[in-house]
Amino acid sequence: MSKRSLPTLATGGEIRDLRQPGYYPRYSTLGQKKAWDETTRHVVTGRVGDTPPVRFFSREEAEVLQAIIDHVLPQDDRSEERTIPILPVIDERLFKNELNGFRYEDMPPDRDAYRLANKAIDVMARERFDASFPALTVHRQELILKSLHDGEPDPAHPIWKTMPVHRFWALLMEDCVTAYYAHPWAWDEIGFGGPAYPRGYMRLENGLPEPWETEEERYEWNAPVDSLSEIEPEGAPPEHGSLHGHGGTH
Amino acid sequence: MALLSGKNGAHRLGPMQTLPGPMRTWSDNEPVDYCIVGVGSAGGVLLQRLARAGFSVVGLEAGPFWDTEKDWVSDEKGSHELYWNDLRITGGTHPLALGANNSGKGVGGGSVHWAAFTPRFHPSDFRVYTEDGVGADWPLSYWDLKPWYELLEREIPVAGPAWFPWGDPHGHPYGPHPLGGVGDVLVRGCSKLGIRTVAGGPVAILSASHGDRPHCIYRGFCLQGCKVGAKASTLITHVPDAIVHGAEIRAHAMAARINLRNDGRVDGVVYFDCDGKEHFQRARAVIVSGYAIETPRLLFNSACPGHSHGLANSSGTLGKYLMAQAGNVVAGRFGDLIRLYKAPPAHALSEEFYETDPQRGFARGFAIQTVGPLPIAFAKQMVAAMGAWGWGMRRVMMDYNHWATLGVLGEILPWEDNRVELADEKDRHGLPVAKVTFNLHDNDKKLIEFGKNKVMEVMWAAGAQQVVQESRFAHLVGASRMGKDPSTSVVDKFGRTHDIPNLFVCDGSIFPTQGSANPGLTIQALAARTADYLIGQGDAIFFSSRRDQQEPQIRYDLSPPFTRFKGNPRIA
Repeated sequence: MSKRSLPTLATGGEIRDLRQPGYYPRYSTLGQKKAWDETTRHVVTGRVGDTPPVRFFSREEAEVLQAIIDHVLPQDDRSEERTIPILPVIDERLFKNELNGFRYEDMPPDRDAYRLANKAIDVMARERFDASFPALTVHRQELILKSLHDGEPDPAHPIWKTMPVHRFWALLMEDCVTAYYAHPWAWDEIGFGGPAYPRGYMRLENGLPEPWETEEERYEWNAPVDSLSEIEPEGAPPEHGSLHGHGGTH
Repeated sequence: MALLSGKNGAHRLGPMQTLPGPMRTWSDNEPVDYCIVGVGSAGGVLLQRLARAGFSVVGLEAGPFWDTEKDWVSDEKGSHELYWNDLRITGGTHPLALGANNSGKGVGGGSVHWAAFTPRFHPSDFRVYTEDGVGADWPLSYWDLKPWYELLEREIPVAGPAWFPWGDPHGHPYGPHPLGGVGDVLVRGCSKLGIRTVAGGPVAILSASHGDRPHCIYRGFCLQGCKVGAKASTLITHVPDAIVHGAEIRAHAMAARINLRNDGRVDGVVYFDCDGKEHFQRARAVIVSGYAIETPRLLFNSACPGHSHGLANSSGTLGKYLMAQAGNVVAGRFGDLIRLYKAPPAHALSEEFYETDPQRGFARGFAIQTVGPLPIAFAKQMVAAMGAWGWGMRRVMMDYNHWATLGVLGEILPWEDNRVELADEKDRHGLPVAKVTFNLHDNDKKLIEFGKNKVMEVMWAAGAQQVVQESRFAHLVGASRMGKDPSTSVVDKFGRTHDIPNLFVCDGSIFPTQGSANPGLTIQALAARTADYLIGQGDAIFFSSRRDQQEPQIRYDLSPPFTRFKGNPRIA
């Protein structure tokens, strides 16, 4: 976990180690696990208790990827013991070569995509700032990542000529959010009800909480001032050519 | 075959239903009447009908035979195995996301993870070429299919409003569901703009119990497989009855190719079992129900001398005219809480823009429907819709409960260059995998632009403070289309291939066009109609090449239990 962010100078609260970030301070989905069915309880509690070992990436690769993940899904506001594992989950998927049912014709297999991008990002760091990616300051790391997010890698690297940068970015982001928002601590953070069988919900309208859910308690907070990853006020970026949604919704 | 009952007793299909047993089995060498490849929306209905009518039937299913209590979870990530996750290659100018987006694997197929909206197609959907000069006409009319729509709505049974005003107005056997927060947004926004809506359905989700299936508990995990048994899948609606009547279903059986005899008739299916061992199931007739990608893939992989471009492909149209619907998701952030994870994702819609309106400058139209992404799906949408990452992602997700999401469901026309072919890559059995190519054309782009803007307008009208949208596609149909003309289509109006008299296709792949309605109900209605046709033809299918094109008699006596005494209301 990267903890090198500068203290914020902006108007809201400073981010700090919290047992539970988000606007539902006393809410715990795991506290409801007795109301879940046995199979679901087993799957979800296993996710909390058992972090898979890193087997696919080498130590050096894992170090670079961890530094990337620390910015594409930062957890500086989470206390150490409540950090949600992301790298081990991605590593496990790649180690087992679990697919999501398709590969873009202009993309290499997921395993190769990660290895190639990882290497390219580290080379970009050395070229632009004369140090390995993990050794850079937060701001410099984010300058490089933001250039990938924007689809304009800076500095250019030949790998992005053969692997569309927006597709790799989507792959990385989707793997990261899948690991993070599958975790019950993230459900507590966002106020999601979590598993709900066999009990179900009874208050469907007006955003009302179930008796075991809690009301929202909002607070202002600022991302670290050296971060570039807040959503830009002008709104959504132009569509990345043919980047389309991957979630099944209807 | 593997035991169907788990170590702790019965094989569960929801909390109240168990899989009947023992299941009748056939050995590979015993020829059965029908071998059906794929036990999904169509395959489940076909097996059930044909078994009840006394035919010997075996269903080959590439995926598992789900025990809903042991195999399914109330969890997004833990439901990954419901989807067809094996490799496929996707390309074109607008490549389709596959896997969780639209492809099921396991008994019940896509009906396990569908959101379960069950609108009928409109009468105009069957005459798109005649009315608009684009796309194609179906070789049957809405009125030919209507009795099977009504029958399947009773078998499922569909919950929804007593009065559905669009297309051929109709009611639904079960009452509508209560409105969730997202449905409320849809009704509110549309009402402000004078757009008619319906709420609480039509969905294949029980609003009251039905036989051994309980009613919905509104937990919102419809797309993860309904552990409750309230959402219909053929796994729980038709497969149990098929087994009671002597059908066999072989899970983990991956069809490799269909065998063609010298006399131009097929005589069975080569498949791999879960250990990778090759088998050959003899059959007097074969029905392929593998959906829009695996069906053409199997027919291509069955190429043989005389059919070097794939079985039943003398027209050259196999794999072509693949369709997905525009499925743009419009997300709106509200000051008040919504909690979009509650209630079924599918529960309110409008078909006010379904038909062609010449003033809009494009043919055909779209529907507006509720969608209910759970946190992972919503976060992925925020990647595409807002470019969210880092702290921006964390921040927008902390507001998850403030967002509502509505979907465009737009008709994309059938184009020859949207297609399924074989890729160079092979699967673990050595079978070439599918390559899918998808390109949007001018009419499609105009339709999507209009639909997207209209739904964004609805979202603003509902009171959203911020509105963003994500482009995506939903559903897959076409690629083995039906038609009257054997030179421009693969199968006739009953799914019989033009080239081979005892080889049939029955699934979404036979659709010539797709409307702006979710395809599940139409797939099941077509399957029941094809079954009634086959039953009416009797043994002639197995020996004769005569092609009877008379409309079949509907069989009201072959429905699963608990269908009797249910009706289709019509309150004029």
